Amino acid sequence: MLKITDLHKRFGDKEVLKGLDLYVPEHSIFGFIGKNGAGKTTTMKTVLGLIRANAGDITVAGESVVYGQTATNRFIGYLPDVPEFYPFMNAREYLLFCGEITGMEKKEREKRADELLELVGLSGERHRVKGFSRGMKQRLGIAQALFNRPRLLICDEPTSALDPVGRKEILDILLAVRNQTTVLFSTHILSDVERICTDIAFIDGGKTRMSGKLADIRNSYRRDEYVFETETAQAAGKIAAAFCAAARAGDTSLTFSEKDINVYALMRFAADNEIPVVKLERIEPTLESLFMEVTGE
Amino acid sequence: MKACIKKELTEQLRTGRLTILGILFTLFGIMNPAVAKLTPWILSTMADSMAESGMSITVSDPTALDSWTQFFKNIPMALIAFVLIECAIFTREYQSGTLILSLTKGLKRYKVVVSKALMLAMLWSACYWLCYGITYMYNAYYWDNSVAKDIEFAALSWWIFGLFVTDLIPLFSAMVSSGAAVLGGVGAVVFAMTIASTAPKAAKYLPTHLMDGTSLIYRKSVPCDFEEAFIITAAASIVCIILAVPVFNRKQL
Repeated sequence: MLKITDLHKRFGDKEVLKGLDLYVPEHSIFGFIGKNGAGKTTTMKTVLGLIRANAGDITVAGESVVYGQTATNRFIGYLPDVPEFYPFMNAREYLLFCGEITGMEKKEREKRADELLELVGLSGERHRVKGFSRGMKQRLGIAQALFNRPRLLICDEPTSALDPVGRKEILDILLAVRNQTTVLFSTHILSDVERICTDIAFIDGGKTRMSGKLADIRNSYRRDEYVFETETAQAAGKIAAAFCAAARAGDTSLTFSEKDINVYALMRFAADNEIPVVKLERIEPTLESLFMEVTGE
Repeated sequence: MKACIKKELTEQLRTGRLTILGILFTLFGIMNPAVAKLTPWILSTMADSMAESGMSITVSDPTALDSWTQFFKNIPMALIAFVLIECAIFTREYQSGTLILSLTKGLKRYKVVVSKALMLAMLWSACYWLCYGITYMYNAYYWDNSVAKDIEFAALSWWIFGLFVTDLIPLFSAMVSSGAAVLGGVGAVVFAMTIASTAPKAAKYLPTHLMDGTSLIYRKSVPCDFEEAFIITAAASIVCIILAVPVFNRKQL
C-alpha cells in the first residue's frame, strides 16, 4: 500500500531522515514507533506531499508521490497530531464541507457524514467545533480522514494527548475500520501498539531499525525463557534443588531457559511431587525491551 | 470551488467580520456628508470667539463637492481598516493547520487562492459601493450630485485601486506565513508607489494616481488623464492573482 525507499530529509544542517525505508502492507494496522523527534511526523508529511524530500522514493498504491500538487492524496486520509477545524462550523457541517471539496454528490455526502458521525460517536453533537474537547476533535479528525473512503489512513500520534478513556475510544475506532482501509499510525505509546497493531516499524536516528509483522518480530526475539511460580518457598526450593539450571527469581518463583531444562520434565516433576503450580509462563519479549534494544539504550 | 467560496462566506458571517465591515463602511458613508454639513455650523459657532481674537471667518454654504472631498479623504482609512481586518485570511489557516486537512483531501491549491481572492474582491466591492451609495444618497438629498463632475468615474477609479490593494493580500500570503508580514508587504508596496509618484513623469502610470478623485470632481483633470493608471492597475490586480497561484503551489505548509 505504501512503500518508502531510502528517504532523506534535512532541515538546514539538521538531517532528520537518513535513508528511511518502510513497507506498509494492505489491510494492516501499522505502528510507526519512535521517540519524539525521531522523524515520524516528517516522514508522514513527506508521504502527504507537504514536505519536499531531499532524496528517496515514495509510492502510494503503486503511484509515486509528488510534492505540492499531490495526486496520490486521493488514496489517503490524514489525521494530524493536533487536528484543527474551522471553529465556526459544527461537526456535521465540517464533514459536509469535506465531502463537497472532494466532489461528492449531495445525497452521498450527507449519508456518509451521518454514518461517520455515528462511528466516532458525535452524531448528537450540534455545537460548533470551537467548544470541542481534544478527544472530540481527535474523533472528528478520524471521521474527516475516513470521509472519502481512503485506502490508507495516516494518523500522527492519535492518542498521545488523550486520557485513557479517549485513547481507548480512538483505538477501538481504528480497529473497527481495519477491514475498510490500511492504517498507519505513529506513536510512542507502546501499549497502544500491542493492543491493535499487526505490523510495526521502529525508527531511530532517521532510519528504520526494525520492521515487519508484530508476531514475527516477537518470535525472532523470543529467547525461550520461562517463569515458574509456586505457592511456597519450600516448594520452589524443591524445584531449584532438582533443576540446578533454574534461577530463583523470588521466594516462590524461578526462571529458566528451555535449552537448559525440558519444560515437560519440570511439569512431570511438579506433578509427581504434588507441587502446586500458580503459574508457568513463557516470557514474551515486551515491545519496550525490543525498543530499548534496537535504539541501543 | 463553490464549497470554498461558501466556506469563506460562512466564515466572514459567523466570525462577525462581515458585520464589522458593514458597520464600518456604513459609518464612513454617513460621516462624509455629515462632516460637510456640520463643518460650517461648527465654524460659525466658533466665529464669535475667533472674532474677539481678531480673526474673521466667512462661512460659505456646503455643497456635494465638500461631501465628496470628504469621501476621497476618508476612504483610504476605510481601506486600511479593511486590510487590517482581512490580512490574515490565509495566514490564519496556515497557523491553525486547517488548510492541511483540505489539501490532503485533494483540494487543488489554486482553488484556495482563487476562492479567497474572490471573497476579498467581493467584500471590498460590497463595502466600498455601500459606502459610496450612502454618501451619494445623502448628497442627493441635501444638495446636488451633478456639481461633482465625473464622480462615477472617480469612484470607479478608487474602487479599482482598492481591488489592486486587496489582491496584494493573496500574493503576499503565498510568500510569507504571518498576518503581520502580509500587512507589511501590502503596506510596503503602497508606500513605495507613493514615494515613486513624487516623480511627476511616473505619477500618471501608478495605481496611486487613481486615488486622486478630487481633481476629477473639481474639474482639474479629465478621465482621459487616468487612462494609463486605470489599465495598469486593473492588469496588475490580475497579475497578482495569477502570480500568487504558482507561488502558493510551492509553499511548504
